[in-house]
Amino acid sequence: MGLKQRLVPYWLLGPGLLWLIVFFLVPMYFMGELALRSGTLTSGFTFDWAWANFPDSLSGHSEQIVRSFFYAGTATVLALLISYPLAYAIAFRAGRFKLVLLFAVIAPFFTTYLIRTIAWKTILSDSSPVVSVLQALALVPPDGRVLATSGAVIAGLTYNFLPFMILPLYANLERLDLRLVEAAKDLYSSSRQAFIKVTLPLTMPGIVAGVLLTFIPAFGDYINALVLGGTQQAMIGNVIQSLYLTQRDYPEAAALSFLMMALILVIVLIYIRFAGTSAFMGEEEDVA
Amino acid sequence: MAAVAVAGIALTLGLVACGGDTVGGGGNGDVTTAEGGTASGKLTISNWPGYIDPGKNGTVAEFERKTGVSVDYVEDINSNDGFFGKLQPQLEQGESGGRSIFVVADYMAKQMYDLGYLQNINHSDLPTVFKTLLPTLQSPGFDPERKFSVPWQGGMTGIWVDTSKAPEIRSVNDLFDPKYKGKVTMLEELRETPALVMLAEGVDPAKASAEQWLKAIDKIKVAAESGQIRKFTGNEYTEDLTAGNIVAAIGWSGDASIIENENAEWRMPTEGCTQWMENMVIPVGAPNTAAALAWMDFVYQPEVAVDITEYVEYISPVQGVKDLLAKRGSELAESDIVFPTEEFTSKCTGQNTPPDLERVNEAWQEVLTG
Amino acid sequence: METLSRGWAWLRRNALPIYACIAVAYMLIPIVVIAVFSFGATPKGKLTFGLDNGFTTEYWSSAFSLPELNEALFTSLRLAALATVISTVIGTMMAIALVRHKFHGRGAANLLIVIPMATPEVVIGASLLSMFIYYSFALGFSTLLIAHVMFSISFVVVVVRSRLIGFDRHLEEAAADLGATPFATFRTVTLPLLAPGILSAALLAFALSIDDFVISNFNSGTTVTFPLYVFGVALRGIPVQVNVLATMLFVLIAIAVTLVLWQQRRAERLAAVRPEPIPIPGTAAAQ
Repeated sequence: MGLKQRLVPYWLLGPGLLWLIVFFLVPMYFMGELALRSGTLTSGFTFDWAWANFPDSLSGHSEQIVRSFFYAGTATVLALLISYPLAYAIAFRAGRFKLVLLFAVIAPFFTTYLIRTIAWKTILSDSSPVVSVLQALALVPPDGRVLATSGAVIAGLTYNFLPFMILPLYANLERLDLRLVEAAKDLYSSSRQAFIKVTLPLTMPGIVAGVLLTFIPAFGDYINALVLGGTQQAMIGNVIQSLYLTQRDYPEAAALSFLMMALILVIVLIYIRFAGTSAFMGEEEDVA
Repeated sequence: MAAVAVAGIALTLGLVACGGDTVGGGGNGDVTTAEGGTASGKLTISNWPGYIDPGKNGTVAEFERKTGVSVDYVEDINSNDGFFGKLQPQLEQGESGGRSIFVVADYMAKQMYDLGYLQNINHSDLPTVFKTLLPTLQSPGFDPERKFSVPWQGGMTGIWVDTSKAPEIRSVNDLFDPKYKGKVTMLEELRETPALVMLAEGVDPAKASAEQWLKAIDKIKVAAESGQIRKFTGNEYTEDLTAGNIVAAIGWSGDASIIENENAEWRMPTEGCTQWMENMVIPVGAPNTAAALAWMDFVYQPEVAVDITEYVEYISPVQGVKDLLAKRGSELAESDIVFPTEEFTSKCTGQNTPPDLERVNEAWQEVLTG
Repeated sequence: METLSRGWAWLRRNALPIYACIAVAYMLIPIVVIAVFSFGATPKGKLTFGLDNGFTTEYWSSAFSLPELNEALFTSLRLAALATVISTVIGTMMAIALVRHKFHGRGAANLLIVIPMATPEVVIGASLLSMFIYYSFALGFSTLLIAHVMFSISFVVVVVRSRLIGFDRHLEEAAADLGATPFATFRTVTLPLLAPGILSAALLAFALSIDDFVISNFNSGTTVTFPLYVFGVALRGIPVQVNVLATMLFVLIAIAVTLVLWQQRRAERLAAVRPEPIPIPGTAAAQ
């Protein structure tokens, strides 16, 4: 391999890496330094290697962390179940209308997060026909409500992150060789088996990408809990908001943020190990 | 790649060069005074949304026509804390991000002043202000000599009630009645909700000890966990009232225009309310203090102030506005909410900061984040 | 009986498209709600999500009457377009490097890409702000652009990468065998096949940018983007014009997409040939 050849990956990576280093790592360094300080805004934050900030912030907010994991996890699973067939349909059955459908998937984003969520708040308000239907179907207790419950927050999360799940799934499904599936059907004689043994594994990279792109931001979300939740639905994102903006306890906010990032990374690494590193790291495969 | 990484880290570490041992901790002593002079050039004002009469005939346009100053009126303040959080790093460096005025609550103005983020204001630069300012506002607790703050609009926090569903609610204690379980909301502001709960228990928030604050917060916590309180809100309670999701809410007096529910009525709690005032302040690093002072003086002319109040429907700090409104035949002139009498607000308290603020605030935040 | 089993068979065959239609309808529910309520009359011109006051088109005729709203929307569109282009280019390059090449520090690079997605927006926003302040960098459109590109890169990389993985190299090898230079191969073979992935990534980046609130809030200075404007006015009542413009934007883009489709159809008809990729054994199948 010539020198020029060997340099190719570096200059491909260069701009992106540089951008991320300067505009992400450096600010993170500032954050990290802040996490090791103690004090208050009025008395000043002194740098004194306050490692205690980390376990302190964790123990104080373990409930919200668990809750966030549960909400984000449920929302991700629901999003996957809803999105996979849809992405499949767009990739293989849409023909001319692919662009239209993809656009329809993105379109809700043009109305801004807040308006979308408020629209749902209106649709799900106590006196709306939608809630009445849900009550009739016994999904909601007769004098119960949908808003200000965990269910509403999870529904909101699922809805708002659907595009994050659909787009990677679609990108990956689209290049699936259908003849492999046909061949599998000939071999296994059942569509279900063909799906499980062939389609699913081949589309795993898309699933991995979709799950990560959905779960990770959902975990740190705070708007759904804010608009659709009640008093007991706060997620870890809400806690960090509060620590940073209302309590102005910057060291604790910074420490908690780092812990959150670490936790997510651990989850991601475990998940990748489970789903297979090749699906994520992109080892070269030779498809015969 | 490893070499590149190491070089990169070394470079960034070098660039960052630890910014000293202590960061923050209040002002460095000398507070500057905003300079007066003839108004010209460009003026950037930060305010809350919906707090001024807009459009070609609005106050901003009028000011521009009269003084030739071009005004960039930015409505980017959504909460005192949020705005503070956003601006703090700049203010710390003596910068205001191009703004020459912002409008914040009493306690926030004081906090900013104590941290050295605001400039002093010369009364001699504001003749109209000190001529028309309501006597009751001339010497408030947080800024007795009006050194750094000039009131903008004010209001009261009480109870909004849906009279078709719960006409008998008249006190904050009624909000804890189990028959309204899940149909009641409270404000998320520390200086409002716990203070009102204390008032209802007969405790004076202005003199309460940290323990009394914590006790009130605990009462609220129990109600939140049991589902009695549906939600802690900013001003989203207006949506819930409109949609019929709640029967009562702790809320602000001037929100009538955004509640589309003719059965909703703002009530002064029997035990009293909290009163508050938003203030115009001039930050450090303000680029155009002369124009800022001219603006402040301009909006205190009664003919200008009346336009603002007529649109915003909150309490004006300017004398003579009530009479001008009456002359225009506006119903607002008769309103207790826009022009409360001393008697009406006799039991009310201001926005008090609790003693041992960090501990109390932390306890309150825990209630808010469930 | 015959018709029932026929009907049932039809249902089974078309279950997927039917489901897709339902799913898409579900995604568009808020848009419908927003569009409907842009016709609701309200006394103070504030959004109420209710039609009790009657139906009116006055907000449509005065759609552009709020200069701050128009400016905010325009700023957001400009910002999103620029951020999308930059982040998609940078991100695609990174994805190619990560999947196609082996080099030292690949693991570290992968990590660096995932971490920003795991960071809460408040933290990214606030820490960026601290850094900008420290280096006395003026806040405004440029800082917003920097921030938006930064958080989009990770998403672009992940999406494009999932498309690249397992990508069939044989077509490219064939092109090389036919004498094409690496660059020409890339341009005429790789890129078109990669296009759906790049398109998805670009759409995602655009959506992220136009919708961002938290990070923009910290780094915007006095520049107001559309989400910032909406959050601001939500406090005192969202003007109905916001709904109107959102609906308008949606309709405009729908028209644009329809035009592209119509163009495609026309081009095909004129050429009298339906474009079909020549099936080469063992490669990605054509539709």
